[in-house]
Amino acid sequence: MVKPTKGVLSIASIAALGVLAACGTTSTPTSSSAGATGIAGCHGTITVASDMPLTGGDATDGPFPAYAAQLAVTQANANKLMGGCTLKYISKDDSTVLKNGHDPAQGAANITALAADPTVMGVVGPFNSSVALSEIPVASRNHLALISPANTNPCLTAVVAVCSDPTIAINTASLYPGPHTYFRVIASDVQQSEIDAYVAYSVLKAHTIYVFDDQEAYGRGLALLFMKYYKADGGSVVGSVSLPGATTTFSTQLSVAQSKGAQAIFFGGTTGNGCGLVRRDMGSAGMNIPLLGGDGCEDQLFITNANSGAKTSEANGSYATSAPDVTKLASSATFFSQYAAAYASLPAPYNNGTKEPYTAYGYDAMNILLHAINSVLVGNGGQPPSSSQTFRDDVVAALRQTSYDGALGHTTFDANGDTTNTGFTLYKVTNGAWVGVNTYAVDTSGNVSVKS
Amino acid sequence: MSDQSGTPGAAPGGTGGRTGAVTLVDQGNLGPRTSEGSSFFGAVTPIFRFLYSLISKNFGALLLALIVLSIFGTFLQGGATLMGNQIKNALVLGAIYALVAIGYTMVYGIIELINFAHGDVFTVSGFYAIFIANTLHLNSLATSSFGGLLLALAIVFPLSMIAAGLTGMAIEFVAYRRLRDAPRLAPLITAIGVSFLIEGVMLVREGPDYVTTGQASWINGTAFTIGKVAVGYTDLFVVGTALLLMFALGAFVQRTRLGKAMRSTAQDRTAALLCGIDINRTISATFFIGSALAAAAAVIYSINYGDVKWNIGFRLGIIAFTAAVLGGIGNIVGAGVGGFLIGLIYVFGGSLIGGAWSEALIFAILVLILTFRPVGLFGVEVTTRA
Amino acid sequence: MSENGQPVVAIAADTTTVTDKVIDLRAIDVYYGRVQALIGVSLEVRQGEIVALIGSNGAGKTTTLRTISGLISPRKGQVLLFGKAIQGVGAAQIARLGVGHAPEGRRLFARMTVRENLDMGAYSRGDRAGIRTDLERVYTLFPRLRERDSQLAGSLSGGEQQMVAIGRALMSAPKVLLLDEPSLGLAPILVDAIFEVIREINAKGTTILLIEQNALLALKTAVRGYVLENGAVALAGPSEELIASPDIQRAYLGM
Ligand SMILES: Nc1ncnc2c1ncn2[C@@H]1O[C@H](COP(=O)(O)OP(=O)(O)OP(=O)(O)O)[C@@H](O)[C@H]1O
Ligand SMILES: [Mg+2]
Repeated sequence: MVKPTKGVLSIASIAALGVLAACGTTSTPTSSSAGATGIAGCHGTITVASDMPLTGGDATDGPFPAYAAQLAVTQANANKLMGGCTLKYISKDDSTVLKNGHDPAQGAANITALAADPTVMGVVGPFNSSVALSEIPVASRNHLALISPANTNPCLTAVVAVCSDPTIAINTASLYPGPHTYFRVIASDVQQSEIDAYVAYSVLKAHTIYVFDDQEAYGRGLALLFMKYYKADGGSVVGSVSLPGATTTFSTQLSVAQSKGAQAIFFGGTTGNGCGLVRRDMGSAGMNIPLLGGDGCEDQLFITNANSGAKTSEANGSYATSAPDVTKLASSATFFSQYAAAYASLPAPYNNGTKEPYTAYGYDAMNILLHAINSVLVGNGGQPPSSSQTFRDDVVAALRQTSYDGALGHTTFDANGDTTNTGFTLYKVTNGAWVGVNTYAVDTSGNVSVKS
Repeated sequence: MSDQSGTPGAAPGGTGGRTGAVTLVDQGNLGPRTSEGSSFFGAVTPIFRFLYSLISKNFGALLLALIVLSIFGTFLQGGATLMGNQIKNALVLGAIYALVAIGYTMVYGIIELINFAHGDVFTVSGFYAIFIANTLHLNSLATSSFGGLLLALAIVFPLSMIAAGLTGMAIEFVAYRRLRDAPRLAPLITAIGVSFLIEGVMLVREGPDYVTTGQASWINGTAFTIGKVAVGYTDLFVVGTALLLMFALGAFVQRTRLGKAMRSTAQDRTAALLCGIDINRTISATFFIGSALAAAAAVIYSINYGDVKWNIGFRLGIIAFTAAVLGGIGNIVGAGVGGFLIGLIYVFGGSLIGGAWSEALIFAILVLILTFRPVGLFGVEVTTRA
Repeated sequence: MSENGQPVVAIAADTTTVTDKVIDLRAIDVYYGRVQALIGVSLEVRQGEIVALIGSNGAGKTTTLRTISGLISPRKGQVLLFGKAIQGVGAAQIARLGVGHAPEGRRLFARMTVRENLDMGAYSRGDRAGIRTDLERVYTLFPRLRERDSQLAGSLSGGEQQMVAIGRALMSAPKVLLLDEPSLGLAPILVDAIFEVIREINAKGTTILLIEQNALLALKTAVRGYVLENGAVALAGPSEELIASPDIQRAYLGM
């Protein structure tokens, strides 16, 4: 997804990333292959990395999965997951001052630099789909595994109907000049929009809807997919509009929606591009119908914006689907307590992994990578394959076979590298906070079911 | 800064340092320069000329017809309720555009500068209003009683306006004054620089997100309902305040000594000097008043919408600038009317053909005015440099 | 020029009392960018005089008036008004010192009414009664303006505009009035009328420095005259002497 930018960077917290590598933890990873006795004689250096936006406007999001990935490495070292081999970790920042946050060009440069190091066997990242677009080809060309904790753009892995839309214009095939080395542990917007459509039609019982999008790849893609599935579900889209992210008032279009009898509003886009302002203007126009958005809307800023208008309860009646509320999963409890213990000395909010929805995704992504490397070592008689490229290819092959039980539950990948562990939680604004209602899963034939 | 239109005759130019000639552009003489060389063009040119002068002469009527048609189209599409709601939306937007447009037009009128930083003065004023309201605890005062609201308004308006006025004066003093007699491009580029500077400072100070002003709760409730169109007190407040300020400004410029100094300086700086008018003070005052009106617009905006953002004035400024051009840049009344017209075009265009086109439509209008009627709907002298 | 290239009449030596000289230019050099418009011009106007400034197009007459008004500053030399050097004093301040200037091209406020233009002339005055008297005086001098007082200045005829320009300068109750070609573009009958008014104004005590293409008329009106050529004073002296000068007659009087 495209994260809304917020806040400013905290230098201290980023610096802490390096320092923390020294802190050991006593916990054991949840995987079974932790013993690693067969690889005790392994020698050589294996490097893994993470690439996240750590500074600028993204400083409130990106560091969390990076810290989580680092924690996974620290634990793997404590457990000698690589046997006698040295396991190193590099943290890359794909933000630039110029962009005040994630920068696709910086991301590509980071992957290029990492790929040039023959010991690097995989990267956890990136955070933003726009960065993924420039990183995937570099990783593919260099046979380097790339596992994203947060990219939800469907076109990164497979061609779906919306990829050719002018605002998205992603040629999926051209992203992979070499082997398909990209994976993700988060479900894509295809699943999200299927669930959104289901929620709008069957949960909110809105049979007519008006759709906004913010003209950006994430928002427009989500809106287009949403409309497709919503119509398939039997709903009627009474109107839709693409407005630039800088739009400050939505009252004109809301009046149109009102006059067309919309029973709900869908917003494909981010809070930074107006999701909360739509809710604000709905309040001013006296529209008491639900607003539904994707994960781009589910943040505190939405509530602030929505409530900035005259009607103070505007945020109520606002819904958004987002990454499953993994903090509630039994499988994640251990991870979050380990995170809290390992990073207790960090300034808030970085000392609490539950403050960001993608923290656990970063952790599982790194663990999946480490276990794939481990399985290559085991399969190769306890030693790294002789050539770096063979090693990397073997790691990608091992990743395809992933069957991992981690903080997010059980993860396997399909042929496109997409996780089969789909699921989105429907959140509703209740008393000034997003509260999870239900978590929905969607199967490959598009059937949505309540997961929890 | 014109108050009248269509004055024939020309005031010959050659001011202090400006080597410009001031001529009133006659609407009929604005045809495209044509070469009578080839026979084809020779034959076609009169037709173009005719069409050109037809459009150019009737630009206002055509625009008005377009607006009326789109209002009617909206009525056909969504009935009286949609039409009424959109008129309300348009007037609210238009009121804000109008107030901001006046600042552009006043400054242009007096120093022939498109003050690109004006939109950012609007932004800054929004934050002034937040600061003032929070420091003086006006939010609780305004929501306590009607009297409290009036008191809060009576505090936040003048204070924000004075703060913004001083900001505008400072910008003029620091960035434009020395360049007053420089080639026009120099202050224009400086203006863009000042705009970037303000936006940068606002971004760092206020962050990249919308900031809730807390003033949206000041005015609440539905004043009356026409059919199914609910007109809120806020809507009345926005439009009423804007009109009030515009009439006050009109009276000020027409009647007061300073207002007359501003008008005469705008018309002929050298002659104003010879009348003993302190040009620097007058230009400062113009920036003060223009910026103060932007601040009034920002307060209105803040009360109506409830949030502001570091770059909110940028697009709003460009649209307001278009309004100023539409009304005839330099013409205060024109800017006011232009603001409301642009509000109508923005809303009804967006309502009819989709909001994604609203801004494109505004800029299309800008291009059309510049092509067919550079003097704007209400005409004002156009100064060209020799 | 006389045969030997000297001015017919030497520029008056600095013998009179300082206070007597309303305008006193001392060897001023004025430039427009790199172009020199005035070269060592010295000129003085005494209390109560009408002084004419004549010369061909581009000689520097307008530049001289602009320098006196402070619209442009000399690079060299001194400008004294009422006996005081005015270096660094702005044009607006000079206007308030009592210099009225009806500039070349009239420069009316085209989108203001006649009355407003006249009011602007009195901009820096506080004496309401005095302003009313002077307005009455202007209307008496130019009865036409009274009829047209709410008409936009830009829509007046050329002659009417000239009346407004002079009227506006008078409204500041100037001690000295600078008139730059008041007869430009006027019908002969109006020219006479305007000059009649100029004499009248002077008779009421206002000192006048006058630029005029019609050299004969100017010199007949003035007590003294200066002839500018290529930015320098070529001749200066009492009007009768200038009129009598064969050079002047040939060059400027068309005799
Ligand atoms: N703004 C200017 N920039 C450059 N040169 C100028 C400027 N104004 C005047 N000049 C030049 O200075 C010289 C004197 O000009 P000035 O206007 O004083 O002449 P003038 O005697 O008043 O002529 P006229 O009788 O035509 O009005 C001329 O050569 C003119 O070209
Ligand atoms: Mg001249």
